[in-house]
Amino acid sequence: MAVAWIGNRDAPVQHAVEQAAELLAASRCPVISIDTDIHGTRAAIALAERIGAAYDHPFEGVARETATFTDRGGIFVSPGEVRRRADVVVVVGDLPAYSREFVSELAETVPDLAGDNSRSFFSVTGTPIGPFPADNQGPVTHLSCKGTDLTGTVAALRAHLAGRRISSPVENADRLSKALGHARFTAFLCSGAGLDDLALEMVQGLAADLNKKARASILLIPTSEAGWGSVLVSTWTTGLPLRTSFSRGAPEFDPWRWNVGRMIEEGEVDLHLWIGAGSPPAKNGDSKLIALTKTGQPVADAAITIPIGEPGADHDAVLLSARTGTLAARPASEPSRMPAAATVINSILEHLDPTC
Amino acid sequence: MLTKIAGGEIIDPVGGRHGVGDLWIEDGVIVDPPAGRNAETTVDASGCIVMAGAIDIHSHIGGGNVNTARLLLPEHHSAHLPRPSETPLSNLGWTAFQTGRLYAQMGFTTVVEPAMAPGNALHTHLELADIPIIDKATLAVLGNDDFLLSLIRDNASSSMIEDYVAWTVASSRALGAKVINAGGSAAFKENVRRFSLDDIVPSYGVSSRKIVKTLQMAVQNLGIPHPLHVHCNNLGMPGSVDTAAATIAAAEGVPLHLAHLQFYGYGTEGKRRFSSAASQLAEQVNATPEITIDVGQVMFGQTVTISSDVLRQFSARGNAHPKKSVIFDGDGNGGGIVPYRYRKDFYGSLQWAIGLELFLLITDPWRVFFTTDHPNGAPFTAYPALFELLMSKEARREMAEGLSASALALTTLLAIDREYTLEEIAVMTRAAPARLLGLKDRGNLAAGAIADVAVYRKGKDIAKMFGSAAFVFKDGELVVKDGEVVAHRWGRALRLAPQPDKTMVRRLEAYHQERYGLSLDWFDFPDWAIAREQPFSEVACAA
Ligand SMILES: [Zn+2]
Repeated sequence: MAVAWIGNRDAPVQHAVEQAAELLAASRCPVISIDTDIHGTRAAIALAERIGAAYDHPFEGVARETATFTDRGGIFVSPGEVRRRADVVVVVGDLPAYSREFVSELAETVPDLAGDNSRSFFSVTGTPIGPFPADNQGPVTHLSCKGTDLTGTVAALRAHLAGRRISSPVENADRLSKALGHARFTAFLCSGAGLDDLALEMVQGLAADLNKKARASILLIPTSEAGWGSVLVSTWTTGLPLRTSFSRGAPEFDPWRWNVGRMIEEGEVDLHLWIGAGSPPAKNGDSKLIALTKTGQPVADAAITIPIGEPGADHDAVLLSARTGTLAARPASEPSRMPAAATVINSILEHLDPTC
Repeated sequence: MLTKIAGGEIIDPVGGRHGVGDLWIEDGVIVDPPAGRNAETTVDASGCIVMAGAIDIHSHIGGGNVNTARLLLPEHHSAHLPRPSETPLSNLGWTAFQTGRLYAQMGFTTVVEPAMAPGNALHTHLELADIPIIDKATLAVLGNDDFLLSLIRDNASSSMIEDYVAWTVASSRALGAKVINAGGSAAFKENVRRFSLDDIVPSYGVSSRKIVKTLQMAVQNLGIPHPLHVHCNNLGMPGSVDTAAATIAAAEGVPLHLAHLQFYGYGTEGKRRFSSAASQLAEQVNATPEITIDVGQVMFGQTVTISSDVLRQFSARGNAHPKKSVIFDGDGNGGGIVPYRYRKDFYGSLQWAIGLELFLLITDPWRVFFTTDHPNGAPFTAYPALFELLMSKEARREMAEGLSASALALTTLLAIDREYTLEEIAVMTRAAPARLLGLKDRGNLAAGAIADVAVYRKGKDIAKMFGSAAFVFKDGELVVKDGEVVAHRWGRALRLAPQPDKTMVRRLEAYHQERYGLSLDWFDFPDWAIAREQPFSEVACAA
């Protein structure tokens, strides 16, 4: 039987699970951070409902991506259609590191469904995209606007493309404008990891303008695949995305109030259950931490540490694949005896008094 | 356990039973009255009617677009949350969990999600698996995917096309196939903004009609029980009656199902150039025995439209209420989410009346199906009120009083005296859907059928009767009593399992590797991914 820790002392997992259930049952303001697979998230939400907890993911970028849907909507495209159709690709803002591979793939292929089998790249970001340098030496044309930030550049670009006067010009905007004039399908690539709410909205505005006469769409690349997978699960199980709380019984979504990072920082929390790979934020005051994470040693400051496996590596899992844009089954690549988050959470649930 | 449902008025059009009697259940199935044995449990159904559990053939209850609609409208959920049970008509049954409960409370025991993108099959089945009590099924959407359009363009043999359809249905665990604005989504990606039955998809040289006909024949030849399920072009447009009429004519003696026909019942008469063409359509349906339709009835109030007809949703997004929408250029069809409020104005009144005209003017209850195209015409929680409208002309007249008189003047609704009988309701919502979907084990109360049974307490208030079942049994287990859920269980997804041809699988693998840089695992998944015991139940294809 794998070992767990109560404080810094070794303990049988079974014992740690019982202790965790006791702490959760006794907590007045429990919160749960979720960074795991689909079935782990399902279990965590069931636990949140049982104990009246708030639950969240630890990704600010995912919160911005969520707000794109909950607040405004927009037009979106699948990665498969970008690969096969987009003859103009415009990267706006930094993309998550894992998407570097997809950008390379776009550079190595040409659209086969429409257009003349060529693809041009533009970038509205000061940093390298995918495998390409941040200057105009590679196949990417960089767009920049002096004296303003990324959001300002996107705003200036939208104005320029709409034929409005702008105070300071966007370098290479005419080249983009020309490419868009011939484009069969323009894809904007962006992420909550690289853009703020305003810039995300502005990119939607750009696409909406273009769609009046031509076709353009946006590939929103999630900051975290696990984070976005959890958003999907939460949405079908509670009707609401993460940053939701059961503290008053029925689930309530409030992206400010139930931001677990903020709640911990402001001392609103007495117990934090962390489920995931990364390291939990420092606990505040005398709040307690229960950590479910892949580890061989107790997590610093945690009242209880229970090791879990990595989804799709240690155990079979269902995960969001940003590459297909949907959920995928991932058999364990290096099966181990480390349990899935769902297994541990479900045994915690079994130890909770059903009336709590 | 031997259970007796005693003394109810049993209405089973398939078994030819209509009269007061007992119904016996044992081990999850209906059994003949056992000689010399006493029931361990007896349910008093006196004063009640007893029917098979109802089957909904077209309701958007799960999958990518449905979930995106939830995500787009978090306020919708909270607005309805405080009094969900007291205000069923304003409740969208929004979560997977509520969906199963609310359906069960109305005596529905099987529901078909009609628009599953094959590439999104795992997500769809995970959502469906979280819907409790009822059984589910899906239709796989084809007809805007490059692979099929290329096969048609290249004059591929019909057996090759059948192999592809069989693989799609098998890998996505579907119960049938659907085509949604055939070719329209593909055309929209090439900046086409209007697309009709004889329009050509750019880059393929293939007409919408050709796609529909190709899929119709493939479904027929594969022995898939449910005929091709068609969402026609030009949904919701004035004059869309012509598209529907042309599509019906294109059936040419081979079964074809047209979804939510109400949205195609629109002529171009009157000063607003928007009128009812329902009687013309109904007449054509009546005269075309190979056609089945579901209505997609509109009821008033706030809802959200969810459709894989991305072209139509793109053009409808200006009418969004509240003012936000999602348009998705997905692989194959993609989709669009546009929240909408049906008002009792000219347009809303006309749509409401057209749906009812279709219900009442199509004479054969075996060929017209009871849907609101949930949530497109109305959430499924509006069903009890809709049953009342079908069964009572007085209820229709009362409702009409608050509506646009100029709209109703363009319809025949108030001149129609027909009232659905309970027998006809049992056909339309039980017997006919089972037959249409090839589900021999349900939709009837004969010995051997699955014990999915709905018991309703008879009363003057029809909506109350159907909204809150006295008893509901699912697989023989009592799940609803006096309108309240008393037991949760996990239903299954009904699926076909045609054997995919190995050559086709190799060809598809090569195609996906080359064109998408991805393996076929995208579409297929092991059953463990659903994380439930026996998530699927297999339905046989015709020999
Ligand atoms: Zn529909």
